Amino acid sequence: MSGKPSAPVAEAEGKPRRPEEGPARRGLTRKHREWLAALCFVAPDALGLLIFLAIPMVLALALGFFDISGFGTYSFAGLTNYKRMFTDPLFLNSVRVTVTYVVLFVAGVFVVSLALALLVKQKLPFVGVLRSMFFLPHVVSLVVIGLVWQFMLIDGRGVVNQLLDVVGLGNFSWLGNPNLALFTVVAVSIWFFMGYYMVIFLAALQDIPQEYYDAARVDGAGTWATFWNVTWPLMKPTSFFVLLVSTITGVAGLQAFDLIYIMTEGGPANKTMLGIFYIYQQAFMFNDYGYAAAMASFLVLVLSAATAAMFVLTRGGRFEVD
Amino acid sequence: MKSTRGYDTTNLRSIRSRPRNLVLFVLTAVLALLTVSPLIWMVSGAFKAPSEVFDPSPIPASPTIANFTYVFTQVPFLRYMLNTFFVAGTVTVVALFFHSMAAYALARLNFPGRDFLFFAIFSTLLVALPVILVPLFILVREMGMINNYWGLIVPPIFNAFGIFLLRQFYLGMPKELEDAALVDGCGYWGVYWRVILPLSRPILAALAVFFFLANWNSFLWPLTITQDKSLWMIQVGIASFQGQYSGSWNYVMAAATVAAIPTVALFFVFQRQLVESIKTSGFK
Amino acid sequence: MEEKHTTLTKENGGISRRQFLARGVAFTFAAAVTGPGLTVLSSCGGGGSASGALKFWQFYALGGDVPAQSKWFEDTVDAWNKKNETQVKLEYIPVTEYLSGSKLQTAFSSGEGPDIFIISPGDFLRYYNGGVLEDLSQYMEGDARNDFYENVMTTRTVDGKFYALPMEVEPMAMYYSVKAFEDAGLSEADVPTTWEGLLDVAGKLKKGDSFGLLFDTNPGYYQNFTWYPFMWQGGSDVVAESGKESTFDSKGAIQALQFWQDAIESGVAPRKALGTGANDIVPNLAQGYCAIQNCGIWAVADMRANAPDFEYGLFKLPLPPGGRYTTDLGGWAFVANSEGKNPEEAGKFCAWALGSMSEDSIQRGVDWCTKAKSDIAPRKSVQEKAEQEGAFDSGPMEFFREEAFPGGRGEPRYTPEVYKAVSDAIQACQLDGADPGQQAEQTVQTINAFLKGYSGASLV
Repeated sequence: MSGKPSAPVAEAEGKPRRPEEGPARRGLTRKHREWLAALCFVAPDALGLLIFLAIPMVLALALGFFDISGFGTYSFAGLTNYKRMFTDPLFLNSVRVTVTYVVLFVAGVFVVSLALALLVKQKLPFVGVLRSMFFLPHVVSLVVIGLVWQFMLIDGRGVVNQLLDVVGLGNFSWLGNPNLALFTVVAVSIWFFMGYYMVIFLAALQDIPQEYYDAARVDGAGTWATFWNVTWPLMKPTSFFVLLVSTITGVAGLQAFDLIYIMTEGGPANKTMLGIFYIYQQAFMFNDYGYAAAMASFLVLVLSAATAAMFVLTRGGRFEVD
Repeated sequence: MKSTRGYDTTNLRSIRSRPRNLVLFVLTAVLALLTVSPLIWMVSGAFKAPSEVFDPSPIPASPTIANFTYVFTQVPFLRYMLNTFFVAGTVTVVALFFHSMAAYALARLNFPGRDFLFFAIFSTLLVALPVILVPLFILVREMGMINNYWGLIVPPIFNAFGIFLLRQFYLGMPKELEDAALVDGCGYWGVYWRVILPLSRPILAALAVFFFLANWNSFLWPLTITQDKSLWMIQVGIASFQGQYSGSWNYVMAAATVAAIPTVALFFVFQRQLVESIKTSGFK
Repeated sequence: MEEKHTTLTKENGGISRRQFLARGVAFTFAAAVTGPGLTVLSSCGGGGSASGALKFWQFYALGGDVPAQSKWFEDTVDAWNKKNETQVKLEYIPVTEYLSGSKLQTAFSSGEGPDIFIISPGDFLRYYNGGVLEDLSQYMEGDARNDFYENVMTTRTVDGKFYALPMEVEPMAMYYSVKAFEDAGLSEADVPTTWEGLLDVAGKLKKGDSFGLLFDTNPGYYQNFTWYPFMWQGGSDVVAESGKESTFDSKGAIQALQFWQDAIESGVAPRKALGTGANDIVPNLAQGYCAIQNCGIWAVADMRANAPDFEYGLFKLPLPPGGRYTTDLGGWAFVANSEGKNPEEAGKFCAWALGSMSEDSIQRGVDWCTKAKSDIAPRKSVQEKAEQEGAFDSGPMEFFREEAFPGGRGEPRYTPEVYKAVSDAIQACQLDGADPGQQAEQTVQTINAFLKGYSGASLV
């Protein structure tokens, strides 16, 4: 691939060349060399993604058309699984739960992590330590997180309830009340992720030139006006990124799954039965892979649609920065 | 980012906003403390005797390091940590290598089907592990990667997140250096190795932290793919302290504390790079 | 692979409609050809590992939670390995993954199920109907077969043959904190014998941030297991004797659902237990979180190990008006994989370990039930020997043997669909304030719909 300019050898190659192709090489044209190089560069990852993610995914989705015993027997079942999905009250329940969870989680984590980023952007003493502290939840195993939070939220004597007792709000069962459990899981998810997105927002915030802020101050803008007119528009690409990523994490993410698995197992009364958890239960507790695969296909479809909608709404994700 | 005015405005600013700074500091510090309070309880649980573990007070009445001794002697916890270091480290290095190559090609090289390939890679982000667990397991078994380090290392390498972040970064890089190198007679590989890679050091550092973290805390895949305890990763090891009817929570807490330390240290050391690199990745 | 994130690309933009459609077409096409592909994939390579040793999957050894229990398994396997050509190899799965995780299912789905493993009665039908359980009675002597208690074996028997051999019998009862009673001015004489009495006493014991009573609230096989006896006491059952229809909408079930609802709504019982759940005695009873706890015989060993100074008492499950005493008998069993690489040797191992009249087999049973763990034995000879050794002479073990165990009924072996229907009813009534009568009706409908299409082994 070392290129040395050589004399045109049009006659030797026997085919006419266009002027912009530059000096001829023996063998491949420059364009083709670029293609070859690209192929070599992309091949390892593309192959790996194909083998370890794409193919299993296609296989998994294909299983939605089969009736599977879990012990090796597959029998073609056409659309049975799909039809069953839409009359299954538990599935419809899990759709409701997932949508609620995603909306609350995405909105919550966005606001919280942006607020935190705005805070730690300031020149505060020990700001490095403070930033690390906000990121710390993300570093710990979810098994432990589930257990620790369970302990803190316990009815009556949990730390959270004891603190809330002071203002007379300590009587709630955060994980055992069907009306509260999902909000609790959302809150713990936000706690887990906020440091992560905070770092992302922080980087974007730090990129905004100080002149803009100084100009705003000279113009007499208050804190809110500064935020709205200077900070917010410049944050749009990052905001979009965070929205997109947190949505995917909320719907298909392993973390949401892990928290439910440890803290509530889908209860109480199926009120925290996220889509991905119901799929898992059907596959591994009920041995009904076919049905699980059908639901997974639906999940992927919905996720793709939501992602596509987000791209469309933001006009392909392009943001004009003026 | 400093002001470009003629004089240094830092002091002026801080004088003007010192009371505000104090309030903000207190607020942030309180929030930070609240954020880590569950983890403080985790660490305190690691020092408590079994009968005390569920005591509400964060300070153990009779602190003990017996839990840590147990974790390291009764169970090959050190081995688990070494396994996890080895696996997470290898995955990180190989992944960064492959991802930067692919991102370079997607950002800089022209070839047919480039957009389609990019789109296809993007769509792999929608794949959730519980859904593909069984087909992936079968596939991996056919490839002979069950119950050995191959199965632990190879599948986790491939993830589109790194490709995207790097592509973004490369798109934002000025082309001059690469063009100069090409004119000088560097092939594409040379450009990649001598120009692109060195310039991506900051973002590679950030990704290294994220990847290492994700693999350090990985649970479901290592559990599925390995049987031999000598291959176990740390999270699987922690899960083994739970019994049929009760958990030895003091050991779980001790193990979790030990497991959290390397990643905390990693973040603390690299946090500036992390922030710097995402910043310069051309996110805007 | 654990975290999925994406970066927005501005220049080379997101998804065009055309590309989206193209992808959809690609998927459907792939689906049409890959279904059979999966069958081919999973059928090749199944059922054979080079070493030839039989894999024994369980959650006790090596390096499980309790060293004595781990050692029992190791000793058993060592004894077999010394005298037999076919070796057995212990493989440890962390318990939560074993119970509600994916490891077993993934293994079986890909034709790599373990050769020997342990199951609970709740899981029996899933494996039996899947055709992977080896008949174990064919490897047992007649005397051994008769040695097992009948009420323990009903859920493991199909057509008169044993498909699983239990290691233990675990009755449920009520534990109470002596100190909590004393503090409330109560004594042993106040120990309740009726449901109403229990709620009453719990009300007196509830104070501040402690609760009077604890029932399990996490949805799962365990919650169902602990709830069933309350239904049985009122003379009801989930499925009729014929096994063809559900009788759940009857007085016994409805009043049991009501009872658990009352416990929560009156505030004497919490909505969430500490630790792993209501099966975990130390974080709940021993830590003073509740004064009375519905728990099983295993808690005796647990207390011995982790809260040896805690003073507790025991009493039988209380009864509804006109109810008849019974309790639930749990316990895990050895099974052999009939699709494994050597079902015969696997079956022989199980029979040799737990189902032989030889002295070492009996002693093994005694060691498990009295030294490694605290359980009632599933076999008459083992129970007798254990009693001879004085294990049941006094204290909690005597209580379980004399009072809790007699009249107990084995944990049912319902299929996951039936389990879930009942679980939903329990959850809805206990935690969501639903009307038990209505819930029971819904449950009957769900179960009947399922039973119509069911063609596996009998549920009863």
